[in-house]
Amino acid sequence: MSVKHTLTTCPYCGTGCNFFLQVVDGRVVDVVPCKTDETSRGGLCIKGYNAHAFVNHPDRLLHPMVREANQLTKATWDDALRRISSELNRIASEHGKDSIMILASAKCTNEENYLFQKLARAAIGTNNVDHCARLCHASTVAGLLQSFGSGAMTNTIPEFEDADCVLVTGSNTLEAHPLIGARILQAGDKGAKILVVDPRDTPLSRVATLTLRQESGTDVAWINGMINVIISEGMLDKEFIDTRTTGFEELKEIVKKYTPEKVEEITGIPKEDLVAAAKIYASGERAMIAYAMGITQHSNGTDLVRTLANLAMVTGNVGKESTGVNPLRGQCNVQGACDAGALPNLYPGYQSVEDAETKTMFEKAWGTKLSDKKGMTLTAAFNKALTGDVKAMLIFGENPMMSDPDIGHVEEAISKLEFMAVVDIFPTETAKLADVVLPAACYAEKDGTFTATDRAIRAVRKAVDPPGDARADWKIACDLGKMLGGAGFEFDTPGQVMAEMSAVAPIYGGIDYERIEKEMVRWPCPSKDHPGTKVLHADSFKIGRGVFAPIRHTPPAEETSEEFPFILTTGRNLFHFHTGTMTRRSAKLQREAAGPYVEINEKDARDLGIADDSSVKVSSRRGSITLSARVTPWIRPGTIFIPFHYAEAAANRLTNNALDPVAQIPEFKVCAANVQKG
Amino acid sequence: MLLERVDNPGKLRFDVPYQMAMILTKINRFVKEGKIAIVARRCDEKAIAELVKRDLLDGSRLELIGLACSAEQVEACRCTDPCPSRVDIGQPSEPVKDDQNFAGMLDMSLEDRLDFWINQFRKCNKCFGCTLNCPVCFCDECLLEEKTFAPDKGIPPGLTFHLIRTVHLADKCVECGECERSCPVDIPLLSLRKMVNRDMKKMFNYVSGDPERMSPLLTTLEGDPMEDDPNVC
Repeated sequence: MSVKHTLTTCPYCGTGCNFFLQVVDGRVVDVVPCKTDETSRGGLCIKGYNAHAFVNHPDRLLHPMVREANQLTKATWDDALRRISSELNRIASEHGKDSIMILASAKCTNEENYLFQKLARAAIGTNNVDHCARLCHASTVAGLLQSFGSGAMTNTIPEFEDADCVLVTGSNTLEAHPLIGARILQAGDKGAKILVVDPRDTPLSRVATLTLRQESGTDVAWINGMINVIISEGMLDKEFIDTRTTGFEELKEIVKKYTPEKVEEITGIPKEDLVAAAKIYASGERAMIAYAMGITQHSNGTDLVRTLANLAMVTGNVGKESTGVNPLRGQCNVQGACDAGALPNLYPGYQSVEDAETKTMFEKAWGTKLSDKKGMTLTAAFNKALTGDVKAMLIFGENPMMSDPDIGHVEEAISKLEFMAVVDIFPTETAKLADVVLPAACYAEKDGTFTATDRAIRAVRKAVDPPGDARADWKIACDLGKMLGGAGFEFDTPGQVMAEMSAVAPIYGGIDYERIEKEMVRWPCPSKDHPGTKVLHADSFKIGRGVFAPIRHTPPAEETSEEFPFILTTGRNLFHFHTGTMTRRSAKLQREAAGPYVEINEKDARDLGIADDSSVKVSSRRGSITLSARVTPWIRPGTIFIPFHYAEAAANRLTNNALDPVAQIPEFKVCAANVQKG
Repeated sequence: MLLERVDNPGKLRFDVPYQMAMILTKINRFVKEGKIAIVARRCDEKAIAELVKRDLLDGSRLELIGLACSAEQVEACRCTDPCPSRVDIGQPSEPVKDDQNFAGMLDMSLEDRLDFWINQFRKCNKCFGCTLNCPVCFCDECLLEEKTFAPDKGIPPGLTFHLIRTVHLADKCVECGECERSCPVDIPLLSLRKMVNRDMKKMFNYVSGDPERMSPLLTTLEGDPMEDDPNVC
């Protein structure tokens, strides 16, 4: 008999909680929280406590599969890999290297994402690599990069506890980032004011000091309105504005028009509440902003992020402990996948592919010529597949048939591809359409690192062997790299990959496995003797001065009509994670939220004659789904909410593929919809 | 036992308050034979006694290594019964005289107490940490997973959720405080447990963790206490 406890990092949200996987006789049987972990402090959420449940699930992919006569059939690794490399070679020579797209994965480790982008850039020769950050925080990366010079959370998770004021918007923190939500509640217990701005009441808003309910898609207006109040009340931090920022006069001019009355007209937020909220935020000595998809997933997402940065800078709430603008990243390693360069315009460490000097540096490091042409984003790739410009996709651990907007459109795009290979742990909706499916190891079966939302690099440790013939993604990427004739794919351990990544990405310069074992380091950490960085922009912004962006309110891409009178917004619930691949295979989580539902306000339900738990049909201009109604006072009249976890009634059949012009993030948070008794 | 094999005894530490009995029951589901040695503080020992009495653990397969908690740990846990029946490691410390948190609760009026708990339970995020880390929470089918008692429509789960647990632990809770320490949102669950234990003491002169005495709440249909068959629960 053998019993061991392997300390590792949770595979769900980006908080980065550590826990022990309890292993009996080579089988993961349970999760035990870790008391000494700075992030989770011996607590976990229900998803974390159940993170072992899917590991041994009978649906796990055990063997490579290759499509023969329109049927996925069992194959050897050699045959499956050969099929991928020969198809990619053929398509590259027939249609050019830029007709191939690689989707990296926010569920894979830093080392794996580094290899995925290297596979695209050095082995195939294209910058066409992207991942689901495009669907969540692409606008954060773009927006904060322009405002501050760095696209990541400015402060750290433990700092929430010591803030005087926490402004939470577009984040259902207690459900989507439960342990961060817990810190915010602790701040509240210690007397901090909690402000929540959200079209839905969330578990956090129900205990908040003040809650504002705006109409979806009107966020620029209320943020500009708050800045206006702060300026007219004289509550701004003049010294900070003068010494650390540029562009204040232009901002002042724009926000003038956003009087509390005007804001009430646009957003529906009562003017007294807006004024009160602005005063609470501005009077805090240490005020933190936390936001998530409710800000980023709009067709003006980048602008919205910049507006929040304006708000923080006006009050001088940047560069100090327990302040800042804090995007909460939603996947265990979505921060790391961005850091590792799984983005079409950036090499590892946020270095531009269009910068000649950087390109030369990477060409030298990787020993091969690289493309100087910016690659395609994930959202663009599906559009380009429809037009025939993208012919092949290699997808590592992503499920666009569930996660991308307007699934009908994704399905059509995939059908136009000449070749698609999917590497995953379960037969996902996307894998079922693939030409080759490779079985991957899950987080419990490999070593590596995840980077949490607060830039902390956290160890992922192997607890058990992968099932059947499944292999770790980093091994698969190395095998493919070698087969495609790429140099520099001879890695024996993920540690060696991290060594290479830290040599080419200065923000990871001081990271190595020995250090990660001993301490929690947050990037930027340029050298071995650097302690890492908790608070960004402490003395100066990375780009010198912080840049105010004067931004006007514009309506969302799609507005309601007589036929589609409701605004549909999508998101998560506490019990499931994203496309449900893992959580819906975890019995206890499935028990808590078994099937798809739509939240609708009591008044709207009464008008339509819809009873709680009854079946309804929700339609948009793109499709319709049938699901159960959850009648609640917790959502604005006129707005409905559908969690996007459920394949049997996929919310993304309805959502709109309208993209933010800068970040190309889709507008998951606003689409016009109709609800009928079904 | 967080270590399978001790390569370097220098790495062993005794200051991490894991509930060993909870870890033991998890392992026990899979390990059907052989002896298990376990480092046990007083609360671990009492929890194990409750489990052995109910035939959920085979006492003859266990070897307890008694660990006396340090004065700091006793203070941090507000522990009133810190010393194990045998001490193999550490020096026995004095129990705390008075649990201030609990005393403060008793000073409140009933109305204030209700308000206090309603506000505390509004923070609950239904992580089940209080049950999962509880050494004496052992039912295969948990009432808290029954829709009738704990509705499945999101969070917070409501008062019933917490009150079911409170009552359910009445004759088992050994006041280890693991529920409170595991709670990510700091609901003061130990004080709630102490409240019920106080009543158990007053009404039945019963204290959980006694290896000999059966719970007075377990009775025959005639209403007689089940003293003669300690293995039925």
